[in-house]
Amino acid sequence: MSLLRSELQESARKAFGNDAPNGDAAACWTKLSDMGWFMICAPEASGGLGMGLEALGVIHGELGRVLAPGGAIAQMLVVEALAQADAAAGVGALLERAMAGEIMTTTLCHGIDADQASHVLLVEPGRIALAPTDTIMPRTSWDSTRRLFDVAPADAAITLAQGGAAAALGDRLRAMLLVALAADSLGAADAVLAITIDYLKVRRQFDRPLALFQALKHRLADLKVGLATAEALFWSRCHDGESLPRLGALKAHVATCALRVAEEAIQLHGGIGLTAEHPCHLFLKRILLNRAWGGDPDLWEEVAGRALLNAPA
Amino acid sequence: MTAQLDTLRTDVRNWLDAHAPRDWRVAATHEAFVATQRDWFRQLVAAGYANPHWPAQWPGGGRSLAEQKVIYEELARADAPRLLLSFVSTFHAFATIHECGSADQKARHLHRILEGETWCQGFSEPGAGSDLAAVKTRAERHGEVYRVTGQKIWSTMAQYADKCLLLARTSSGGAKQAGLTFLLLDMAAPGVTVRPIHQIQGDEEFAEIFLDNVEVPVRERVGEEGAGWAVAQATLASERGLTLMELGYRMRGAMRRLVDLVRMTGRSEDLGVLRDLGRLGTDVDAVCALADRFLENRMNGVERPGDASIVKNAYSRCLRAWALLGLRLGGLDAQYRDPISFGDLNSGNWMADFMNSYAWTIAGGSEEVQRNIIAERVLAMPREPREWVL
Repeated sequence: MSLLRSELQESARKAFGNDAPNGDAAACWTKLSDMGWFMICAPEASGGLGMGLEALGVIHGELGRVLAPGGAIAQMLVVEALAQADAAAGVGALLERAMAGEIMTTTLCHGIDADQASHVLLVEPGRIALAPTDTIMPRTSWDSTRRLFDVAPADAAITLAQGGAAAALGDRLRAMLLVALAADSLGAADAVLAITIDYLKVRRQFDRPLALFQALKHRLADLKVGLATAEALFWSRCHDGESLPRLGALKAHVATCALRVAEEAIQLHGGIGLTAEHPCHLFLKRILLNRAWGGDPDLWEEVAGRALLNAPA
Repeated sequence: MTAQLDTLRTDVRNWLDAHAPRDWRVAATHEAFVATQRDWFRQLVAAGYANPHWPAQWPGGGRSLAEQKVIYEELARADAPRLLLSFVSTFHAFATIHECGSADQKARHLHRILEGETWCQGFSEPGAGSDLAAVKTRAERHGEVYRVTGQKIWSTMAQYADKCLLLARTSSGGAKQAGLTFLLLDMAAPGVTVRPIHQIQGDEEFAEIFLDNVEVPVRERVGEEGAGWAVAQATLASERGLTLMELGYRMRGAMRRLVDLVRMTGRSEDLGVLRDLGRLGTDVDAVCALADRFLENRMNGVERPGDASIVKNAYSRCLRAWALLGLRLGGLDAQYRDPISFGDLNSGNWMADFMNSYAWTIAGGSEEVQRNIIAERVLAMPREPREWVL
């Protein structure tokens, strides 16, 4: 593990705590803003930290681990778009506001927290623009840790990029989204696996802890193998310059693995896993949203298959 | 450091371009395959690439783990034959004798490994598989020799081995582990009978060894009498994680076989096939990344107990999936029996590869035993109770 990665991970874990769910949206947001993590990927020339996708992965991994509420995913995409905007757009002040934590959202993440957002980033073919939020309609989603909205932008949109530049920026934003979703899923899966193991060690039936039953131990071992493999893939691909299809395939792999962990977590918890008071279901729902967002495994696996077929011998 | 590794990589690659056998898969008989193995090992020894993990006083030795990784990556990339015949000799026999052997044993045995002497491992028995400490083969001391009687099984390439790393029981009292003694057996000694095991895919990679009152000189005992279990741990720990990395890379290279098969069978626009191919390709990359990380942790001295089990289970399941996709695409054609390639896990003979993949979920500690290790050592779940009452 690189030094940067381990140090950043340590400070992020300290900041967000280690227990899910961390339901304090305002406190999470303040910490992200205070630590400068909204601008973690933004180039240093624009006032950002210029730390790249690996750092983005670390932060979102920790946010997923505690099921952090709020639209940090969207905020980082907006900051990136503003930082990469055409100089003529004159959005320097907006970038500073966004980096400082003024909530903004994007259609790429289904208008997450749009009711609190001043602006919405529109990512369209051939054009990327920022507009003040106008009409918003709340959409109740199964994942209660993220609040989603249908957003209609106001007319006064500022164009950030067009044509080829918009395509390149759009790819960059999608790459960041895929990394963030994969990292969030990994963090969430790792946390819910730990909760499940702890529960099996404590819960007693037939005069022994459930963790003593080999049938259950083997299922946990298989989940650990899948998760360790997905983590290794994640860090091997989580770097700037990796192609969108390969990041998509990564997200698909991680989401599939994380879903398996979350499904098993509920099953292995038994009755308590069916209750709303226990956090198991929150992990499952968050991971399912991550899986559906940014292209699902069906899409990315097909893309990966075509890429293999078309690769030079 | 990076520049040194790049130089080594170029050297190995150039040498392999000139020397790596190309037609080793078409060996018509097991004997021809073994002859190729011996020849290939001889060439690698001469080039200094056969034993990079040995200490520096040996020709070819003294390579860092990073350098060893480069050599194995290049062997996989060149699609050179795996060193199946000399694997136990260069890893297990060397590590055991080097770490636990007497000065006399080192002087007599180690140099002969590089001269082509081959070793097999006599650990498993019909009644001691996953539960290795249950070994029953008896060794009784008579003056300056042990007389050994019993049966060993699943010994890799034992039918071609000159010597054997033998785990035998010298006493039955106390803990199962305490009564074991480690011996170096000459396979040419009177009373040794070897019978190859015919595997389901048609290969004979393993053999049974029958021992009938075989005499082993006491000077060939490694460690003290009764200390065999500890010596056996040194044997089993000798493989440094390079094999799974190498095999992962070979599997990645062999994705090409599946791609060719998709094209050949006209399935290039079959969505189900495209998705399964894409998923498998990513899974294979993930296994390679896992093996890389495992080696990196080893190099940095931060490997944790049970990590190797995670890599083994990840690889072996992925290998099964790789073969199964080929088998599915191969359809009825894959049901006609073509000659197999010996010693190859990714041959493109899909039935053979599929059946051979079981070697990786069963041999070297079954998938189930690895799961126990992962659950108990990595996840800190409670161990199996020692007592068992019907």
